[in-house]
Amino acid sequence: MADSDEEYVGEVTDDEDDFQVSRTGPERRSKRRKQRGGAEWELSRTWETLVEGADGTISSTVEGLLEAGKRKRLLKDTTPLQRGIIRHLILTLDLSQSMSEKDLRPTRYLLTLRYAQEFVREFFEQNPISQLGVLGLRDGLALRISDMSGNPTEHLTAIQALKPQDPKGLPSLQNGLEMARGALFHTPSHGTREVLILFGSLLSSDPGDIHQTINTLVSDQIRVRIVGLAAQVAICRELCTRTNGGDETAYGVALNEQHFRELMMDVTTPPATDSQKQSASSLLMMGFPSRTMDSAPSLCACHSNPSRGGYKCSRCHSKVCSLPAECPACGLTLILSTHLARSYHHLFPLINWVEVPWRRASKSAACFACGIPFPPAPPENQWSMAEGHAKGMSVSSRYECTACKNHFCIDCDLFAHEVVHNCPGCQSKSTRPLEAQSDTAPAVDGMDTTV
Amino acid sequence: MNSVDASEHYEQAATDLAPALLTVIIDTNPHAWAQLEDSLSLSKAIANILVFINAHLACNYANEVAVVASHSQKATWLYPVHQDKDTTTSSDQDGDISMNGASAAAAAAAAQQTNKYRPFRMVEEQVNRNLRELMNSTTDNDLRLTTSTMLAGALTLALSHINRRTIAWAEAHGGADLEDTAANGAGGGSGGPGTARYSAEDDERLQSRILVVSVSGSSDSAHQYIPMMNSIFACQRLHIPIDVCKLSGDAVFLQQACDATKGIYMCLDNPGGLLQYLMMAFLPDQRSRRHLVLPTNVNVDFRAACFCHRRVVRTGYVCSICLSIFCEPPPGTVCLTCGTQLELGDYGAKPALLPRKKKKKKRVNGSAAGTPMSTPTPGP
Repeated sequence: MADSDEEYVGEVTDDEDDFQVSRTGPERRSKRRKQRGGAEWELSRTWETLVEGADGTISSTVEGLLEAGKRKRLLKDTTPLQRGIIRHLILTLDLSQSMSEKDLRPTRYLLTLRYAQEFVREFFEQNPISQLGVLGLRDGLALRISDMSGNPTEHLTAIQALKPQDPKGLPSLQNGLEMARGALFHTPSHGTREVLILFGSLLSSDPGDIHQTINTLVSDQIRVRIVGLAAQVAICRELCTRTNGGDETAYGVALNEQHFRELMMDVTTPPATDSQKQSASSLLMMGFPSRTMDSAPSLCACHSNPSRGGYKCSRCHSKVCSLPAECPACGLTLILSTHLARSYHHLFPLINWVEVPWRRASKSAACFACGIPFPPAPPENQWSMAEGHAKGMSVSSRYECTACKNHFCIDCDLFAHEVVHNCPGCQSKSTRPLEAQSDTAPAVDGMDTTV
Repeated sequence: MNSVDASEHYEQAATDLAPALLTVIIDTNPHAWAQLEDSLSLSKAIANILVFINAHLACNYANEVAVVASHSQKATWLYPVHQDKDTTTSSDQDGDISMNGASAAAAAAAAQQTNKYRPFRMVEEQVNRNLRELMNSTTDNDLRLTTSTMLAGALTLALSHINRRTIAWAEAHGGADLEDTAANGAGGGSGGPGTARYSAEDDERLQSRILVVSVSGSSDSAHQYIPMMNSIFACQRLHIPIDVCKLSGDAVFLQQACDATKGIYMCLDNPGGLLQYLMMAFLPDQRSRRHLVLPTNVNVDFRAACFCHRRVVRTGYVCSICLSIFCEPPPGTVCLTCGTQLELGDYGAKPALLPRKKKKKKRVNGSAAGTPMSTPTPGP
């Protein structure tokens, strides 16, 4: 088996580097892969990781790989961090000629616009009380596409309107950053100030010294994150590292469409607040309006559209048609309490579930939540054989919540962590006797009792 | 020419409507049912719900149903029951074994009902048996400890089951995955340019909805606020409507749940007519609902209760760190929930009048530059 595999690799690859890698053992290769960083897809040989099962097929390995892929997505840090829930973000789109490249399908330009729209939706889903603005970089200028606002529809229509236009000219990072800085200038200090740049070019044609701009960004506490579409650019790297306090993960270069999407969607999670920076926390005055339904239509104060339903500002009684919004008459922030609740899962994330070894697997035969039967435990002498075939994956296909000790399948694990943010086991049992013992719950419980 | 006609014909036949999955959450809180005993007993309500479930199953041969009990100390499945619960020996993987495990009385009843449509009988038997087990397992101590119901847990269980069924259905029929649709249709309320596309995708997948038959009041479920809200947002994301049939009391969370997920909220004036309400209001699935005038609830209570005095507020102060709501600036401007020292901003402060007055005086006395006057006064 192994022999034939190596020969095959040697024949196909003519790159010297690759050839060398294929001769060395798997340990060396993984080390190399790490060094190469972003280029790992060039080196991964998926056919090598396949191992024939006892029955002579590879189906078990394929299933294992699929499961490991799912698992990788959800093993994230669940430390309850203080996060900047109220965000102010400027989305900057590269609209220069390099965006007409077709390496991302259909073109970089169209794909970026599509993902930008998805990003706007997801951003407001995750951050209902945040503000967003959109800029474009084209012809060496920064274009204002939509102003800072909390209404996703405005941004979506503005981005949609870009679709028939063509990308042209060169981008200017400096102009874009200066305009973003201006837009973020009078945002209140309790919110975050962020810039996300989707950058397809390998150059920036600037009118002045971009390093000075970076200095002012640092002093204004604006964090810049960049998703590159072509290759790593030194100035982007410096920009991200300096504005994020030395954190290099803020700059990512997309390998393919999927990776591009992932990099963008990462930004929708509110950033952790830097403990050193001491961003001023403050008490915000907000109105919780009640919904009204009039017998005759009346104009809303925000769009001057006639409508029967709406929400009345709790301070000045002007009617707005959708929430969250800022009252157009008196400037009070109007929200629903449900909008606040939507952000709670960022503040109190669900803890990661742990893999269950065969030793403890026998106590459950089916997933607690959805009831799918688990594979039965094999005899004890086979336990070690199956172990450790894919990282982050449970040998017994069971995942255990450490708080309620119930076992779940991989699909429920994903679903609970990415969609519901609840543990089906913990919620299905009375919490009262557990309150004193469990060490994971107090943050949430403290919150619960105060509501 | 013939082939064109034939293909059109087949295409129409192939686009069979996706079946519906109805998940019924029955609030079995003994305290609330005891209060309701005069107008509607639990056994009668269960009988009505079973008839309703049968009607749902009869709508389409592929329709599915799931029943969850939200009891006072736990949330549990009534139907379908999972293997590890009803089989004493874990090695049994065969579904038939569980049938033998049922009591002799149930088996005798099953023999009598041989003429019943099998899915009807299965649901009825399992729901009855599991509900009886659940009631028998409830101890006096459990009842004394809590008067609320585990609605958040029941919703989470129901969602997990819906997720599982949707994945299974998508694998079998090649429709859209639940999470794919969630990713595509993430902007639930935003309308936007892509609305038509989402509804088309929604048609292709399993139509899931949740019906909550609720009897407990709202104050009971206050400690489940965050889990409850999380489940509601998940439903909203996945386009799963939550219908609520409220037999007694009034629950703010459930009103908000219906409003957010575009479900039906009904507070029954006459609980005795439960079946009538269920059949008339809750039977149509999402597709039919587009063509119907639905009983909606306009007066949804959206007011927030402050964390400090539990007063219902119209205008409140919100901590920018943990988003707690206060009716007045907390003492020492320290957030009561997260303990952060907060800046009050300009809200409580009165406008600074004095400096302005001085400036004004100065200007009037100081120079005549700003205002033209008929008789110029000499400057100092």
